[in-house]
Amino acid sequence: MAQTQAQSVISVRNLRMGYGARVLLDDASFEVYRKEIVVILGGSGSGKSTLMKNLIGLHPPMAGDVLIDGESLVGASGEDKARLQRKLGVMYQSGAMFGSLNVLENVRFPLDRFTELTLAEKNLTARMLLHMLEMAQSESLMPGELSGGMLKRAAIARAMALGCDILLLDEPSAGLDPITAANLDRTILSLRMNLGVTFVVVTHELQSIFAIADRAIMLDPVSRAIIADDSPATLRDHSADARVRQFFNRRPDEIPANPYGRE
Amino acid sequence: MADDGRLRASGRAADRGDAVTATADGVRVVLEGRITAHTAVPIWQSAIETLTRNPDRPVVVDASGLEYADNVGIALLFDLTRQERLPGAKVQLEALPPNIAALLHRFEPHDFVTGASTRRHIRTLEEIGRATARQVAYLEELLEFLGGCLRVLWQARSRPGAINWGDVLDVATEVGANAVPIVLLVGFLIGVIIAFEVGLVARQFGAVIFVVNGVGIAMLRELGPLMTAIVLAGRTGAAFAAQIGTQKVNEELNAISTFGLDPIEFLVLPRILAAILVVPLLAALADVVGLFGGALVMASFDVSFLQFCTRLLGAVTAGDLIIGIIKAVVFGLTIATVGCHRGMRTGAGATSVGLSATSAVVTSLVLIIVIDGLFAILTS
Repeated sequence: MAQTQAQSVISVRNLRMGYGARVLLDDASFEVYRKEIVVILGGSGSGKSTLMKNLIGLHPPMAGDVLIDGESLVGASGEDKARLQRKLGVMYQSGAMFGSLNVLENVRFPLDRFTELTLAEKNLTARMLLHMLEMAQSESLMPGELSGGMLKRAAIARAMALGCDILLLDEPSAGLDPITAANLDRTILSLRMNLGVTFVVVTHELQSIFAIADRAIMLDPVSRAIIADDSPATLRDHSADARVRQFFNRRPDEIPANPYGRE
Repeated sequence: MADDGRLRASGRAADRGDAVTATADGVRVVLEGRITAHTAVPIWQSAIETLTRNPDRPVVVDASGLEYADNVGIALLFDLTRQERLPGAKVQLEALPPNIAALLHRFEPHDFVTGASTRRHIRTLEEIGRATARQVAYLEELLEFLGGCLRVLWQARSRPGAINWGDVLDVATEVGANAVPIVLLVGFLIGVIIAFEVGLVARQFGAVIFVVNGVGIAMLRELGPLMTAIVLAGRTGAAFAAQIGTQKVNEELNAISTFGLDPIEFLVLPRILAAILVVPLLAALADVVGLFGGALVMASFDVSFLQFCTRLLGAVTAGDLIIGIIKAVVFGLTIATVGCHRGMRTGAGATSVGLSATSAVVTSLVLIIVIDGLFAILTS
């Protein structure tokens, strides 16, 4: 890979993960470098979300290790683990905004808990984040009053509030209209450019993958392995693996030959 | 990891011997290292201090040593530039990394001038007025809801099958049969307690036999229906509000409406009918075990079971029992209506389901006591 000299912020080593006897991924290794946008993709049930839970330490892997900034997340416990987890900002699929707090309070929540800033300073920080995510008008709304796209942007603002420069987004564009999804992609790119944020994005929206991803990592539930790890355009045009080409060219499975011999 | 962020400003830094130029025509504030959520607090504080200490001199913020600023750091930089200063005493950022400069350009100094708390202070009297108006409006809304339910019930009479009696039976089982143990326990204990407390006082005056009158009237007219209603308000009112509220949050109510069904007919009527049928039965049960509990206690005051029964039949009338039962019907209607209404009015999200359940219980309890008072006046 070209970026060997770049700093690796998330490093997955020989990971085996799954539930009980069901192994979803075995002996998988990959790196995420600083300021990179990496997309994790794969068909439904291939373990994308589970991989993300392993990366953020919500679900312990069966074997192998996950390193955050060179420190093992799997081996850490207690305050050490919490400190590593705080380096990661996470946007969950549903947004997971706290229903009893309004948008501003949600974004301020991590600042309230982990910094000694004054209320005015915290409010300013939170409002600037919301402004960056084009949510300035909605700061006093409750999460229940937000649309899907607003909910996701508010969730990203909250994930970033503690100055997290590694963001993990679980299906950010799922259920969004194409324009909102494209705006979200633009936001992701601008956060990377202006704040140097590293992104790990779980998605299978092809348009979004081509728009944002430096690298795509594709999981396959049958071989339980990573079957592709390269730029989306390279994978689409030059992958040796038929499954990968099929996915990136959005082709359905081959229809079996017509037994009646008619075209 | 690189070192933490630092600030070197004229006054404070000079104390540390880390001198920074504070010439007659300007002050330099030097930012260094990484300014993040975890390092920003002292930097922010001393930077603002430096600015306020030099209100009449231009300030240059030198960011050439700044390695990294996260969003808190950027908020800090923005906060420095938006401070109100005397003319000729501007704050100027120098040697900003281009990506941060591009970010700061997106914000206008007046973007966030609204203070931390824009809430208008509401005085006590105004608050009382608003609260009263809210309660009155709520009562109106509740009566309207009840009226709507009765209208649907009236319309349903002409369509056989409009009311799902299977549902009514299911709800009645849950509300009634499953509540029998707790109603028995509460009714019995109340009978025992009343008889014992009143008996102790009455014995001092040699009037133990009159305790039977007291227990009889109190149980039948007041405590039987009241205790049943209080138990059911907590048990059933909250359950109705939470069930319907969750269905609302899950958009099940919308699904019911799109099938052309009326949520009131489908969800509310069975609950109200079941409650009306079941609460009087439970209240009658509470009456019986309460009197039985009273009789047990009276035995220890040398009033035999037979004496108790004879005396009781002389003391209470069928009217007392009937008033109690009518009350129980009204309480049942109140609990079910309030529970269902709160459920139907649930907002979005898990929190609002909890709020609906809580307010269903509180509102039912208050209304039950008020209605009980009205009954006392009307039947005196």
